[in-house]
This record gives sequence, C-alpha cells and structure tokens, in this order.
Amino acid sequence: MVPKRVLQLLVLACLASALRAGGELYNHLVITPQSPVLEIGTNFTATCMIINTDEITAKDLYWNLSDITVSNKQYTKINSSSLSVTIPVIGEKHEWLFCFCKEVSNYVYLNRSKFRHGIILTKGYRPGKPENLSCEAVQVKMEISSTITCVWKKVGRSSTDVPTKYTLYVKELGRNHSKETNGNSSQVNLEIFPHHMPMEIWVEAHNKLGRIESGHLSKDADSFVKTNPPSDIKVISEKTFPTSLLINWTHPIAEEYLKLTYQIRFCQNGSQSWTYVPLVDTDKYIQSFRLQNLRPDTVYVIQVCCKNARRGHGYWSNWSTNATMRTPEGIPKGKPDLWRIITKVDGVNERQVRFITKDPVFANGRIQRFHIKIQDKKDKVKSRSEEWERIPVNRSEADGSSSQREITFLKQIDLADERSVRVYVTAFNSVGESAQASLFIPDKAYGVWDLAPVEGLNLSSHGGQLWLEWKAPKNKAVSEYVVEWAANGWTDWQRENRTTTHTVIKGNLEKFVCYTVSVHPVYSGWTGKPASVQAFVEEGAPLEGPEIVDRKLGRNDVELVWKEIPQDKRRGFITKYTIFYKNGSKTHSVTVPANTTSYTLTSLSGNTRYDAWISASTIGGSARSLNHSFWTLKYAAGEIEGIVVGVSLGFLFIVLMTMLLCIYKKDVIKENFWPQIPNPGESTIGTWSPHHPVKADTPKENCLSGISVLDVDVCDGKCVFEEDKASLPLKKDKYLSEEHSSGIGGSSCMSSPRQSVSDSDEGGDMADTTASTVQYSSVMASNGYKGQTPSSQPQQAIFSRSESTQPLLDSEENPDMLLQEGSKHSQRFPRQPCFTHTAQNKDSTDPADCHQREMEQQELLEPLDFYPLEEDSEQTTPTEGQSADWLPAAPASSYMPQRGGYRPQ
Amino acid sequence: MCGFCLLKKFEKQCDYDESSQFACDTERRMNGHVKSMHFQQLMETAAALLSLLLVMAVDSTRTVAASRNQECGNSLQQTLKLTRLVQKESVDLIKTYKASQGEMAELFCKVTVADVPDPNISGLEPSERLASISIHLQAFFPHFKRVYEQQTDLQSPTSPLLAELTTVSTRSKNLATLINSFYQSLFPNLPVPEPAGGPTTLPPPQNVFQQKVYGCVVLKTYKELLANVSRELRTLKNKVCRRRIQINTLFL
Repeated sequence: MVPKRVLQLLVLACLASALRAGGELYNHLVITPQSPVLEIGTNFTATCMIINTDEITAKDLYWNLSDITVSNKQYTKINSSSLSVTIPVIGEKHEWLFCFCKEVSNYVYLNRSKFRHGIILTKGYRPGKPENLSCEAVQVKMEISSTITCVWKKVGRSSTDVPTKYTLYVKELGRNHSKETNGNSSQVNLEIFPHHMPMEIWVEAHNKLGRIESGHLSKDADSFVKTNPPSDIKVISEKTFPTSLLINWTHPIAEEYLKLTYQIRFCQNGSQSWTYVPLVDTDKYIQSFRLQNLRPDTVYVIQVCCKNARRGHGYWSNWSTNATMRTPEGIPKGKPDLWRIITKVDGVNERQVRFITKDPVFANGRIQRFHIKIQDKKDKVKSRSEEWERIPVNRSEADGSSSQREITFLKQIDLADERSVRVYVTAFNSVGESAQASLFIPDKAYGVWDLAPVEGLNLSSHGGQLWLEWKAPKNKAVSEYVVEWAANGWTDWQRENRTTTHTVIKGNLEKFVCYTVSVHPVYSGWTGKPASVQAFVEEGAPLEGPEIVDRKLGRNDVELVWKEIPQDKRRGFITKYTIFYKNGSKTHSVTVPANTTSYTLTSLSGNTRYDAWISASTIGGSARSLNHSFWTLKYAAGEIEGIVVGVSLGFLFIVLMTMLLCIYKKDVIKENFWPQIPNPGESTIGTWSPHHPVKADTPKENCLSGISVLDVDVCDGKCVFEEDKASLPLKKDKYLSEEHSSGIGGSSCMSSPRQSVSDSDEGGDMADTTASTVQYSSVMASNGYKGQTPSSQPQQAIFSRSESTQPLLDSEENPDMLLQEGSKHSQRFPRQPCFTHTAQNKDSTDPADCHQREMEQQELLEPLDFYPLEEDSEQTTPTEGQSADWLPAAPASSYMPQRGGYRPQ
Repeated sequence: MCGFCLLKKFEKQCDYDESSQFACDTERRMNGHVKSMHFQQLMETAAALLSLLLVMAVDSTRTVAASRNQECGNSLQQTLKLTRLVQKESVDLIKTYKASQGEMAELFCKVTVADVPDPNISGLEPSERLASISIHLQAFFPHFKRVYEQQTDLQSPTSPLLAELTTVSTRSKNLATLINSFYQSLFPNLPVPEPAGGPTTLPPPQNVFQQKVYGCVVLKTYKELLANVSRELRTLKNKVCRRRIQINTLFL
C-alpha cells in the first residue's frame, strides 16, 4: 500500500513539474489517477494536488462526485498541497469526480476554471472465468469440417462501460488460431481438420479490468468430432431364425480419419420404449450386428449411431434413420386363453354355452385356425367326441406386438343342466401348433362341490381404470382367477394367478359405460361361482332424463309415473330423482330415491295448471325430462257424482210435489187454465129474435164472411179498417187477434189485452193464414143480449171469441188482391165451419189437422144445417168481384140462425 | 527410504529418545539370552519391513515405466494413424491427379524424374531413422508447393485436385510436426532433425508435359515414402517404446 502511494505521489510530482513547464495554460489543480477504470464494489482513492500557486492550500479543496459534494470525512490530507478522497465504487454508470477549490481570494474567483479538475470514473466488473467449454467439429460429406465450433458459459457480470469480450484460442501443434467474440460461442476455421493431432482449446474472458482463461481442453483433435450417423442400414430377416434380425450398415467416414464404435437400439413398431444393445457388444469397429432374442412375427424399428472409438473422446452422432423389419413367424408359445359365456335358456333345462378364446400370448405369427374338441364326461368312450373341429380364422396383417388380443368366437352349444363337458382348444399359425388349453363346464348342480366365490369383491375407479380387490375363498385352493367384464353385449376377460387379490382391468374401458365385473375363481380347471359388481370407469350426466309415462290426476294431488332411463343412456348410477313442479313462477322440488319410479305430489291447488319435470342425477351430473303439464281436477273424485245425485233427487222431489199438487188441486187448476167456454153452437141466440132489424149496410162495414158478427158500432168497423191498413205488413208474420178483432165491431175496443195468436208458422200456409186470421167474438151481456144498440154497460159484457183464418179484411182492403187471390178465398170458405170451434182447438193450426177437424166439424155441423146455402154463394162471390155486394147478404143469412141459438150463460 | 536405514533409526531411538530411555536401560540390564532373543525378533521384523518396501519400490517403478511406455505408445500410435491417413489421402490424390491430367496419365507416373527426394529412410539407430523420416517429409514440402503452383495453372480453381493437394501438403506438415515432437520426446538431448544439405533442390522450369510428369512422380514418390514411414513406425513401436521400459527397469 505504501509503495503505491509513493508511486502515486511520484507521478503527481512529475505531472506537476511537467505542468509547470507548460506555463499558465494549465490548471492549478490536478487529479491522479487520470481516467481510471474501477471495479464495482471496491474503494477508489484519488488525490488532488495544487500546482503552480500559493493562493490556496489543501484545506481549501473539496471533492464533488457528480453534483454531490463528498463528505470531508472521506478526505485525507497528504500535505499542504495534496488532498485525497476515498469513495466506494457503486453502480455501473460512469461518473465524474471533481476537485474544487473554495473561492478564498479574488485570484481564485477570477480564475475559477483553473481551480477545478475532474476525472471520469468508468466502472465495471472483473471478467469471470468461462465455464463448460465444449467444442465440436461435425462431418461434412466424407470428411470432418475444418471449422470447429465452441460454446461456453459466461460467468460474472459485465457493465456497459467495461464490456467483457471472449477470445477463443485453438492451438494445433505448431499453429495457433484465435477469434474474439462478445457472445458465448465462436467458430475457428482451421486449414484442415487435424486428425490424430493434439489440440488445445481454451477461451479467455477479458476487459479493462483484467483477463481470465477458461480451463484448457487438451485433447486429440478427434475428440471434438461428431460424425454423421451410419448410412445404408439394412435389416435382414431369415426364416430359420424367427427371433433374430441381422443389421448391416456403412461407416460414415473412412477408418483412416476416425475409428468408430457403434451403438444399436431397437423397439417394437409403434412403441417408443427403446431397448439398447449393451455397448460391450457393439463397442467395435463393426459394420453388422445380429439382434437376438426377439419376438417372432414382430415388426422392429432399429437405429444405429456412432462415435470415436477411443473411449471418452468424441461425441455420439445422431441416430440413423429408422430401419424396419418384421421377424419371421415362429411356433406359438403358450396356449390359447379359452373362456365361456353361459346363458340360461328359459323354460328348458338347458344352458347355452358359447366358447370364446384369445390367441396365445406369444402367438408368434398370425393364427390361422383353432382346433376345438368338446368331450362329454359321460361320453368319453365314444370316438366321435374325440374328433377335433377346425375353426379357421381370418386375422388381419396386424402386428403381433399388439397388447389387445382379439377375441374369437369358437362354438356355441346347448348343454343340458345335468351334463358337464370338458373343452380343449389349440391354436395354429403357419409354423406350428400351440399348447392345448382346456376348460371344464360342470353340470348345473356344481354347487354341490362348493366351488365358492371370492369374498369381499370391491371395485374402485381411478385414473381411468377399474381396480379390483377381493379375498380368496376360504378353505379352498384356487388355481387362478378369471376377471371378466361385460357391457353392451361385449365380454372380455383376463387371468390372474392364484396369489393375486387385487388387480386392474387391462382392457380398454370406455367412460360412462356400466361394466359388470365378475371374478371367477378357478379350482383346478373347474370354474367357481362368480362374484359380480357393476361399475363405471367414469360417471357422467345421463344423456336424457326419465320419461314421464303416466299420471293420475286428483284435485290436490297427482301421481307421476316415469320410466327409468335406458341403461346405455344413464352413464352412471342414478343416485336420486328430483321432481320439480311449477305453478306460475314458483317452483317446488321433491327428491326421491333412485329406486322409485312413481311419486304422488300432494298439496296442489285444484283446477290449476302445473308444469312438472323429473331430473335424474348421477355423480357426474343430472338430466331432466321434458316438461309435463297437467291441470289438477276441479272436483275431487265423487264430488260430481254427489252433485248429480243431489240435483236429481231434488228435481224428482219437485216433480213429485208438482204431481201431487196437480192431483190434489186438479179442479182448481182446471178451472183456472181451462175455463168452460160456452159453445156457440149450443147458444140460444139463434133462436133469439131481435127487436131491430139488421141494418142493411152493416155487413159492408164489417169484414166478416162466413160468420156473422153482431156489430156493436158501425164506426168501429171503419176504425178497424183503418188500423188494418196501417198494420198490413204485420200480417205477414203474426196476426194479432187484438188488432183484427174488429170482426165483432166495438168489441175490439173493449177487448182485453190478451192476445189471441193464430199461428200459422208453416211457410206454405203463411199467405193463407196471416192475412186471413180474424177473431170472432160473441159478446154476451150478463143480462142477456138486448139488442145491437150500444149497451150502457159494455164493460160488463162477457164476450167469447173465436179465431178464424178468414181473409175477409184483406179482401176489403185490397180489392185487387182479392181478385188475384179469389181462387184461394174460394177454397177457404168451406173451412169456415172449422173455425167455429177454434176456441177448443186454438193450438192446432196445422192445416192437416185443421182439415181433419174441418171434416169432423162438417160431420158434426151438417146435421145442424148451419147455413148450408152460403157456401155456394161465398164460393162464387170472389169470382164476381163484388165483395161489397155479397158481404151484407151473407151475414144476414148466416147470422140469423146463430143469433137464434145464442143464450146467455 | 530403505529398510536398513529404518533399523538404524530404531537403534538410535534408544540413545536419543528420553521417553524410551528407561526401557532401553532395562533392556540392557536383562540377561544375555533374553537380550539375544529380542534382538533376533527385531531383526526379523526389520527384514520383513525391508522386503515390503523393496517390493513397493519396484512396483512403483514399474508403474511409472508402464505409464511412460503407454505415453510413448500413444504418441507413436497417433503418428502411425496420421501416417496412414496421409498415405490414404496420397493414394486418393494420385487417383485424382491421374484423372485430371487427361490421356496418358498412367504413363506420366512411370517416367523417372531427377530432383525428387528419395523415399527411402536411412539411418541405423531409431533416432537416426526417425530423423530421416522427418527430413524426408520436409524435403517434399517445396515439391508439393511447386506441383500446386503448376497445377493451379493447369486446373480450374475449383478442381478437387488443388484442394486435395492442399490437404495432403498440410497433412504432411502435421505429420512432420508430430514426428518431430515424438522425436524430441524420445530423444530430448538430440538436435531437431533438419535437412542436412540445405534447401531442397527444385527442378528448373518445365513445359506442361514435364509438369504433369513431375507432379505425378512427386506424388508417387511421396506415397512410397509414406509406405516406408508407416512400416518404419510399426518397427519403431516395438523398438523404441519397449527399450525405454528396459532402460527404466535397469535404471532403477
């Protein structure tokens, strides 16, 4: 440390003397060292020296690092003209270090620029020793490239101001090469690759703070060689050696350049599990090798690589391209894996037995056929049963290395329950025959031997596989186990040895499929009772929900019946059903166990629409059924029947009561509803002789024909006539007797509002009846008829009326129509007697009835000789068109007998 | 360290070691018979130790000799390999040369040309023969250079002949360097072999035909030299490396 300081001062002294010689152009302050490169993390000491002036001393100096004044604690006064400072080197960025002087005098103030000096501090790290140097020269064409490539690992940090560079050195015997780089790899081009020559390679890291070399690689130049892989690899398969393949190849480079050693690896086609031939077998300069102990009839992929034969020198080449070859077929080893599927035949004491088999594990070729022999235990002696049956199979050209062995159906037999057979099977390929496999099928009662099943069979699923665990049957020596799994009509199996109590199913199991897994213990060839369990590799949500197939509606409840989801769509074990039902926006749910297929929803509202659906759940999810809508009943069961019966009984009661009432009040009713109307025919008025002769012009005013009406007031007839005119259109529909009851003259004015309707609804008779209906009234004074003069007591008069369809009024009103309808009128007149009794038959408007009654009336009236003469006169009158003439005459002649017969009642 | 020295040291231990002084005095005071018996036992132990040390020394010497022998063998083996490589390349070069010289190329090589180095190795001692190999190899360098120059005028720049000439020339230099190195490792006190007669004599300017003939003869002669070198090195392998073992054994 001391010599360094002395040296520094010496340099300063020299510098100072030199500056003095230079005159006043120089600063009065000088820092040493100038432009230093500093290692980050160390301390740096700089010294500021006062030269060529006595104006200031060291105590007037101070230091600035960039813009910050350095604390005077870090200063060291060397002498009156020198001040040093020690600062830590921090950060990678370069900085300025200034030495300033306080302005202690005017000279200093005026020459400020001469009393300052600065140096730039460049910071960096020392280079780290490169590590992991490795170099490689690859093969180009038939020689090794003259370019050698080296890679190393950088160590340590590098700053921007002090970058670290690397120089790669390659030293041959007598020649040196080098190349500089900033990275961690470099290439050196040699004139030729120096085979069999020693070579030394190293890399040097260097920057302004120092340099350091990596470890030297002093090796034979061939140690850096990486050749191409062997070419032209040929694999030869020889029929006589089914477990062997011969490999030939060509050296990638001439022996004079490099002596190589080889490595061989092979695997079955499709597999990535390589088998490496031990190096001791191939660690020679060889061009062929025979692979042995291979599986017959298996496609192998073979690769070869090489390197410098000298141990520890050179790099392994890449692996050659694949060379593929199938080994020849060999005799099958092992025996076929024989199994059976027994199905019970309903209704018959037989079993259906299907024999299936897998190829021997080491089929060593394509199995071309199986031979099967079924031997009945009771039928051993028969020669026929000893015959072998050939079952040819057509295998595809698959690789024998496939782990999944194909299942071959051999034969199906119907076996009586009491029969037991033994089955033998052998497999053949093109080379030979396998060992014999046999299987016992005991009779149905094999339980007598107590071929007990395994106990505690437990099955679990994880990792996409099914794991089984069981306990061996007690007191029985099991020779092996057969683990069988079946789903969707497909059965597969595997065999486990006698000591196995847990295994995994090795077949390709699908997710969401329900497998029935059975473990059959085999007792010296006799298959014991199986223990079975169902399982899924992985459960999912059902593909569809349960189907609602029925419902039984009630007023406040409904029973829903649904069908289970088909097995292939369950995709898991159903854990529960959830029934949802919704009324409006409110949804209710009920959970029921998985073994339920119907449920009654209660507490429903009557006469309400509900939407219901059922969700079936598994561990993997759930699926819902379609919406099922229903209306609850308005009435509960039996409610309607009760109402109907009640109403019926009530009605019956009313009817009975009415009937009883009618019976007991018969006379009253009769009197009220059917009052006795005196028969005009029996009237004594006909015999009555008026005091006043009948007015000659009265008939003109009165519109009656056929029947003579006792006219009370002449003017009344006119009024009626006028009214009829106004009410003509109404005649088309109904003819109101009130309006047309003027036939009795003033009686219409006094008549009661009771309407006497003369119905003639039938279309055909409308014209006949509507226009011709007229009421005939017989007015009977209580005191008897006294005359045709208006009575002083008209209101006390009792009148009886009769209705007629006589078209008299129309004829009067419309003489033209009368002419047209004259023929009709002429036909009606004969009916007139019919209407004389309409009081008794007013409901009967049927022309037929009317006609019948007319006839009856005629029969009745004829003996009475009721104006027989007028018939003819009336028939002829319309044709003559003199209504005014005949009308007065007719009533006069016809009415007279009536009057004579009328008697007050 | 020898066994005898150990024995002496043990004797001295009685004189100088204070801790064992008492034991030594007691020993001296014992009667003569016992004293004699103890001494005999001591002598037997010392003899056994001496024998063991001798065996160990011989074994270590042999190990060193074997490693030196192996080193010698490796160097010679590498030299031999390089010789074979150059030999192979020279054979290929002659083929390429003949192919690139047009018709009558076979005839060129049958003509004798002066001023081509002798392919025969001279000397009686291995050192002399090794030196002779080195000198002969070096003697061919100017000739290769001359042939290269001549063929550069005759061939296109991309001709494989030129590349092969360069390769063989460079490889020959490597071989010469390797042999020199081997020579120096075997005979470190002998001077580095150099051509005795000064610079190699090159033929005067030639016409194209002469150039073709000259080139072929040079290559052919060189090939012969390499065959001789190869043979010589195989012989030297037995002589030089084995003799060193013998020398080492005798030295020890």
